[in-house]
Amino acid sequence: MRGTTFTETMLGTVRLDTGDPVRRIRLDLRAECEEILRPHRTTSAQVHGRLRIAGLADDPNATGELEISPLARRRIRYRLTFTADGRDFTLDGWKSVSPRHPVRSMTVLPFTLYEDGARAGQGTLRFPVTTGLAPFLLSFRFPRREDAAQYAVPRWDGSPGRTEVWYTTLTDPATGTGIWLHHELVAPADGSAPIAHGWAAAFPPEGKVRHVRFGPAPWHSPTHGFTAEGVDAGPGRLTGSAGDFHWNLTEQPLGEPLFTFPRWSWRRPLLPATHMLPAARATYDGTFGDGENTLTLRAAPGASARINGRGNARRWAWLHADLGGSDVLEVVAAVSTRPVLRRLPPLVFLRLHRNGRTWPRRPERSAVGLLGAGRFRARIGLPTWTVTGRTLLRRIRVEVTQPEERTLALDYRDPDGAAAVCRNSESADATVLLERWWGRWRSEASWTLRATAHAEVGDR
Amino acid sequence: MSAHGLVAALLADTDDEEWAARVPARLDTFLSALPAPVRAGVRTAAAAVDAYALLHSGRRLAGLTPDERERVLGSLAARPGLVPALDLLKVPVLLAAATERTPLPRAEVAPEDPPLDCTPAEEWPDRATADAVVVGSGAGGAMAARTLARAGLSVVVLEEGEHHTTASFGRRPPLDRFTDLYRDGGATAALGNPPLLLPVGRAVGGTTVVNSGTCYRTPDHVLDRWSRCHGFHLADGLPAHLDEVERTLRVATQPLGVLGANGLLALAGAERLGWRAGPLRRNAPGCKGSCQCVVGCPTGAKQSVQLSVLPEACAAGARIVTGARVLRILLDHDRPGLPRASGVLVRRADGSELEILSPLVVTAAGALQTPQLLRRSGLGGHPRLGRNLSVHPATSVAGRFPEPVTSWKGVLQSAGIEELHERGILIEATASPPGMSSFVLPGVGRSLRRELEGADRLAVLGAMIADRPSGRVLGRDRTLVRYSLDPRDGERLMTAVQAMGRVLFAAGAKEVLTGIPRAPRARTLGELDALLAGITARDLHLSAFHPTGTVAAGGDPHRAPADAEGRLRGVDGVLVADASVLPGCPEVNPQLSIMAAALAVTESYAERSSSSRSSTAA
Repeated sequence: MRGTTFTETMLGTVRLDTGDPVRRIRLDLRAECEEILRPHRTTSAQVHGRLRIAGLADDPNATGELEISPLARRRIRYRLTFTADGRDFTLDGWKSVSPRHPVRSMTVLPFTLYEDGARAGQGTLRFPVTTGLAPFLLSFRFPRREDAAQYAVPRWDGSPGRTEVWYTTLTDPATGTGIWLHHELVAPADGSAPIAHGWAAAFPPEGKVRHVRFGPAPWHSPTHGFTAEGVDAGPGRLTGSAGDFHWNLTEQPLGEPLFTFPRWSWRRPLLPATHMLPAARATYDGTFGDGENTLTLRAAPGASARINGRGNARRWAWLHADLGGSDVLEVVAAVSTRPVLRRLPPLVFLRLHRNGRTWPRRPERSAVGLLGAGRFRARIGLPTWTVTGRTLLRRIRVEVTQPEERTLALDYRDPDGAAAVCRNSESADATVLLERWWGRWRSEASWTLRATAHAEVGDR
Repeated sequence: MSAHGLVAALLADTDDEEWAARVPARLDTFLSALPAPVRAGVRTAAAAVDAYALLHSGRRLAGLTPDERERVLGSLAARPGLVPALDLLKVPVLLAAATERTPLPRAEVAPEDPPLDCTPAEEWPDRATADAVVVGSGAGGAMAARTLARAGLSVVVLEEGEHHTTASFGRRPPLDRFTDLYRDGGATAALGNPPLLLPVGRAVGGTTVVNSGTCYRTPDHVLDRWSRCHGFHLADGLPAHLDEVERTLRVATQPLGVLGANGLLALAGAERLGWRAGPLRRNAPGCKGSCQCVVGCPTGAKQSVQLSVLPEACAAGARIVTGARVLRILLDHDRPGLPRASGVLVRRADGSELEILSPLVVTAAGALQTPQLLRRSGLGGHPRLGRNLSVHPATSVAGRFPEPVTSWKGVLQSAGIEELHERGILIEATASPPGMSSFVLPGVGRSLRRELEGADRLAVLGAMIADRPSGRVLGRDRTLVRYSLDPRDGERLMTAVQAMGRVLFAAGAKEVLTGIPRAPRARTLGELDALLAGITARDLHLSAFHPTGTVAAGGDPHRAPADAEGRLRGVDGVLVADASVLPGCPEVNPQLSIMAAALAVTESYAERSSSSRSSTAA
C-alpha cells in the first residue's frame, strides 16, 4: 500500500483577540498520509512543519492533522498545535471548497486560534498560487507503506537448492564495535533435509575480531522468521547464544523497505539471488556479549537484510553505509555463477536513499544501464574496492577499504556444496562522493565513514 | 414614492391636523421595510388610484380638493369588486396614520434583561466548532439550546434577527419595532383563495417576542391523536414537559386588574350568554397592560424566551450569534449508511460567510423556514416535507359601544371564550396597538376618518379555528406559502364570526363591524345573521399566526419526514425542534406545545447519546 506526502506553504495574517495588531503569518507544512490521496474520498494526514507569526512565534515543531476531502465533504481542514511566546495555541481552520469559486475556495484558509480551548484569535492563510503551485505539485510523493515484519517471514517453499539469509549488522555508537549476526537456511540441492546455521561476530575497534558459529540444526519451518538451536531472528527482536556469545536485542525499524535488487525479483525469484532491507535503517537496543566484553546497546544504528536465492555469487562485494540523518547507501556488486553470466563484469546494484528519495530511481539502472550503456562499474578487490556510476545529471564514486585487521574471513557453502570465502568487516572505512552536473560537475554531497561502514567481499 | 394624494384621500385630510401631514413620510418609511414585491404591489395600486383620479377629474389626487378626492374614492368604492383591493391599500395607510395619530406612550423605566451571551455575526470567527448548532432562537430553538447546554454540550444558537432589549422597546414607536421584529416587515402572506396574512417574528426570541403571551397547554385529545394516529410517541410524555415549560415561563392566569375594558366586555358578553370563558393563562407575571405584546413587551413582563429560557441556556454555556442566516446544513456523504450533518454554512448581513462544524444540527427556524433550509441543504427529498401546514386561520370582529373602550389600554390578548372549542373554534379578546389589528376599519375618505376617530369605542374579538392541514411551504429561499382553506374550515370561520357577534351584542354593543367589505356592519343579531347568510369565508380578512406541521414527526416513514423522536429521516445528526415537528394542528396557541416538543426531542437525543457513550465506555 502506498501513502502520500506533500509540502505546502501558506501566507496570511492573524490577529489575536487581545487587541493585538494584525500580524503576518507563514505556515510551512509537510503532510504525510497513510494512504493514497483520493480527492473524491476523505483522507487524513499527519502534518508537521514550521509556523511563524511576525514578532510573536517561530515554532519549527508545529504538529497536527489534516482532513483532506475536497469533493466528498468539500472541506480541507487543518488542525495544528504550536507554541508562541511560551503559550500553547491550536490553529483550527478549513478551506471550504466551492465549485463556484474553485481557486479561491481551495486556496483561502480562514482559521481560528484557541488557547486552552478558548478562542484566542483569528486570521486567514492563503496559498500563493503563482509561486506556490509548482513546488506544491512537485512535492507530491506516494511512498509505499509497508510493514517491515512481513519481510522477515521465511520464503522457502520446500524446493531443493535454495538458500535464505537473515542478517543484521550494526555499530555500537558508544564503543565503535561492529556487530554481525548471520542466520542462514540452506536447502541442499540433493534434496536432503534443510539445515539452519549461522554465526555472530564482533569487530571491536581495538583487538581481534571474534566470531562464533551455531548450527547446523534442523529447520522446523517457523512462521515469523529464523529460529534454530536457541537463536531467534524475528521482526523487532534478535536473541540467541552460541559458545560464549550471547545477545538479546530489540530492533526499531526506521524508514521504508529498501530493495537493493528490483522489487519484482523478491516477489518472483527469477534471479539467482536477491537482496533487500526490510527497513533501510534501524536502531538496536539490548545487550551483546562476545565472551570478553558485554555491550549495552542504546539506539545503535544498523540494518537487517534478507537474501533469497540459489546460493552465493561467484564474486561479490557489499556495502551498507549509514550516512547520517535518514540517508543510507546500499551497494551489492556481484558476478553470477551461471555460465555466460559469469563472464560478465560485476552487476552493480546501488541504492542511495537520500532526503526521502532513492537514487537511481530503478535498481536496474545501475546494473544494466540503458540497454547496457551507462551501467555502474565495480572494481572488486581488497583491501579497497570501488564503485562508480552516473546517470544523466548525477554521478557517484564509492570507495570502500576493509583493513585486514578488521576483516573476518569465513567459509561459505552453497546448496550444491560449492565453497566460497567471504571477507567481512563491520568496521570498514568508506568515502562517498556525489556530484551533480550544472555546467560542470559540482560536488553535491560527500561522506566519509571511519570504521562505521559495513562491507564484505567474497570470492571462490 | 410619496403617496400624499392617496393618504389625503383615504383619510379625508383637510390640512387641519398636524399628524395627518406626517403620515405619507411614515408610510414611505414603513414601505421601505417591506419586501420588494409587496412594496411594488402597494405602489402600483396607489399609482392606479392616481391614474383613475386623472381620468376621472383631469388631475391627480394630490391636486384635487378634499371634496373632489372624496368623490373619486366614492366612485371607486361603489364598485364592489374594487373594495377588497382598497381594503388592502388601507392597511399600511392606517398603520402609518395610527402611529402618527397616537402619541408615543411615556417610556417607563425598563428593567434590566437577564444577561445573554450574544455575539453579532460580524464579530464571530469565520471558522468555529461546537457540539451542537441550533438554527433559530424562538420557542423551540431556545428550549433545545437549554436542554443540550445543560447536557454538557457546547451549543451555538444561530439567529437571523437581532437582539432587542426591553429598554429598546420602550424607546421606539410601535411601527418601527414592528418592521424590525417581523420577517418581511410583517408582510408574509400565504397565497390562496382567500389569501392569508401570516406574520412571523425574526429576532432573538423568535415569534415569542411578538406573540400575545397566551399559554395554552396542548389539549389531551390532541396529544392522544398525535401519539395514536401519527405515532409521535414523545407526545405521551408531553404533559410532564408542559409542566416544566410552564414553570420556566411562569405561566399564570391573568389577573383581572389589568385586563382592560376589551377583555372585560368579552367576559361580560360570554357570561350573559352562559358561555365558558375566563381570563387567559399567560406568561406575563406583573403585566402592566401596555397592550404592546406584538411589538415587544416594553415592561419586560412577558417572559419571551429571550428573557426566560435563553438566559438559562447561556448560563449553561450556550452562545448566541445574531444576524446569522443559515444558508445550508453541511453534510458528510462519504460514510457508510446515511449522510451525516457536519455543521452549517452561515451568511452574515454583509454577504460574507462563516462555517460552524458540529455533529448535531437542530433546526428550529420555524414551520415556514425549516423546510426551506432543509431543501437548500439537499435534505428536501421527503415527499411530505413542507406539506401538512396548519396555520390556525383567524379573523376578527369589532363591536361599537356607547362608552369608550380604548382597547389599546390593557392586556392585548386577555380573555378566552372556550364554549365552541370542541367545535374547533377558540375566541379570544384581542386588542392591539392602534392600526396593528388584523381588523380593517370599513369605509374610505370621511367615513374612514370617522371610524378612525371613533376607534376608541371599539372592542375587538378574534377567533381562530383548528384547521385541516391545507397548506404547503414552497421554495428554498424566499418565504412562499400556499394555503387552500378547507370548506369545513370556512364554515367554522363563519360560525366564529357569528359567535363573536353574539358575544359583542350580549356585552352591549350597539353595532358590530364585521370587517367584511361587502357587509361591513350590523346593528342587531338578526341583521348580522342576515348579513352573513350571503357571505363565505373567502370574503373575510384572514390572518394566521401559528404555522405548524411542515416537517411532521411520526411513526410512518412515508407520511412523516421526521421520525417519532424528531430526527429528520434520511440523514444522521439533524433534529427538528420547532413548530414544524408537531404532527398536526395543536388547536390552541402553540407556544407551550412547541417548547414541550422541543424539550422532548432534545432530551430524548441527550439520553440516547449519553447511553450510547456509556455503552461504548463499557
